[in-house]
Amino acid sequence: MPLDARIHEVPDDLLAAIDYCYEQGWTDGLPVVPPTIERVHAMLASEGRPPEAVIATHPATALELSVHAAAVNAVMAGCVPQYFPVLLAAFEAMDKPGFNFHGSTASTGGSAPLLIVSGAYGDDIGMNADVDLFGPGNRANATIGRAVRLILRNVFQMVPGISDKSTQGNPGKYSFCIAERRRGNPWPLLCETQGYPRGVSSVSVFAAGGFCNVENHGGNTPEQVLGSVADAMANYACITLGQSVVILSPEHMRIVAGAGWSREDAQAFLFTQAKRSVEGMKGIGKYRDGDYEQQHGANAHRLVEPGYVHRGLAPDDILITLGGGDAGGHSCFIPSWSRGRSSILQHKPIGVCVDCK
Amino acid sequence: MLCTEPFEVTARNIARVLGLPGYPFLMVQHPIGSCTVTELKARAQVAYEQAVPILLQT
Amino acid sequence: MQLYDPTASGPRCSLSRAAPLTGLDGKTMGILENGKLNAKEMLHEVALLFEERHGCKVRAVYSKSNASAPAPAETLAKAAQEVDFLITGLGD
Repeated sequence: MPLDARIHEVPDDLLAAIDYCYEQGWTDGLPVVPPTIERVHAMLASEGRPPEAVIATHPATALELSVHAAAVNAVMAGCVPQYFPVLLAAFEAMDKPGFNFHGSTASTGGSAPLLIVSGAYGDDIGMNADVDLFGPGNRANATIGRAVRLILRNVFQMVPGISDKSTQGNPGKYSFCIAERRRGNPWPLLCETQGYPRGVSSVSVFAAGGFCNVENHGGNTPEQVLGSVADAMANYACITLGQSVVILSPEHMRIVAGAGWSREDAQAFLFTQAKRSVEGMKGIGKYRDGDYEQQHGANAHRLVEPGYVHRGLAPDDILITLGGGDAGGHSCFIPSWSRGRSSILQHKPIGVCVDCK
Repeated sequence: MLCTEPFEVTARNIARVLGLPGYPFLMVQHPIGSCTVTELKARAQVAYEQAVPILLQT
Repeated sequence: MQLYDPTASGPRCSLSRAAPLTGLDGKTMGILENGKLNAKEMLHEVALLFEERHGCKVRAVYSKSNASAPAPAETLAKAAQEVDFLITGLGD
């Protein structure tokens, strides 16, 4: 164990131990599984790196997440050892500078890390990619996401009101973890588009600023279905140069992909449609010359329309894939917390190292 | 270092973690982003009055 | 039963404050702004008061490309070399 691994002696009573964890301020408001030595060691046994290996470092405070600390918090969240590689890969991804670990966890903007597991690993550990995708009930989805929050709180001290200054918060701060649906997915999986070798699964982390259900039961063309998604993306509350995540329901995907649209077709349509006029942006006080120049300047994407502010800088700022239950014309749009490029989606392979030096 | 009042606890926490407990900040009214020039000037005056003894450590 | 502590260890860093200035008249200032709305304007107003009352001069304006990431170490090193004191800000 790491030399600084501290141990608390508590009465041999499970309910008293749960209360002890509350008293220490270690929880997210819900009861945690007391991190006994046996459970933590079982979690560590699933990982090849030594317990003192550092997974992530907070850029502002230099606080470090060790494999050991991750295991303690994973036990508290209710994870089983098979989930641990996903959690570690997620924090490795969050540790990449492009994610902006500090800003995305401290901001008034209420960001919560959204984890999207892509590939067979999610199915192997029983993750949910189907009905009630973002809802409760699945141990893997719930506890992996929860472990992220417990680590942010306990290890990185992102405590609400002190270092987490989120104005409204975000329900995803409890847990925000899904699997990309493989069954019936007509498009390449994210782990494939991310360039990983065949058979390697990935976890993507996205600083998510909220969740918007996009309902459309009457539209039966790609333009109608995606038009409603684009409108959600362009709402004045959300429109920025930031990235987007769009999860299409199977009903909506059948309409879009069924008409022969590729992922790239859908991204291009959403990008061209999710826009607001400059006058409109000025009218609500959200127009900035610098943002417009960044989008329309020398490196402008060919689909950018003069006189308009689009959501994102280019179509590939929009991650779009399949998820959710078979029934229901309900897709969803998740905006990036970042109003520009200060946090970009990052990803890592699960359980393997593909670029080890 | 100028800090608006709702972020005082955040700033002091980071200072503590970085090994500088008690680091003196310039505390001004929140917010800044939506202030008029007149409001910014008023906040600047408050900040200036706190800054002088901090810089001179008097 | 024995429980592992899930929290981080104590502070890893130990920093110290710069030495106090012997006076303010004629000193050089730097501004480090974070790109947020009115950040540059706010810090310039503070600098203006030092200009008017002590004859200080703004020698350099540094900008962070990412408002919520720490300033690059090279920016801070440069500022330490170039100015007597730096005015900066956090919060939103």
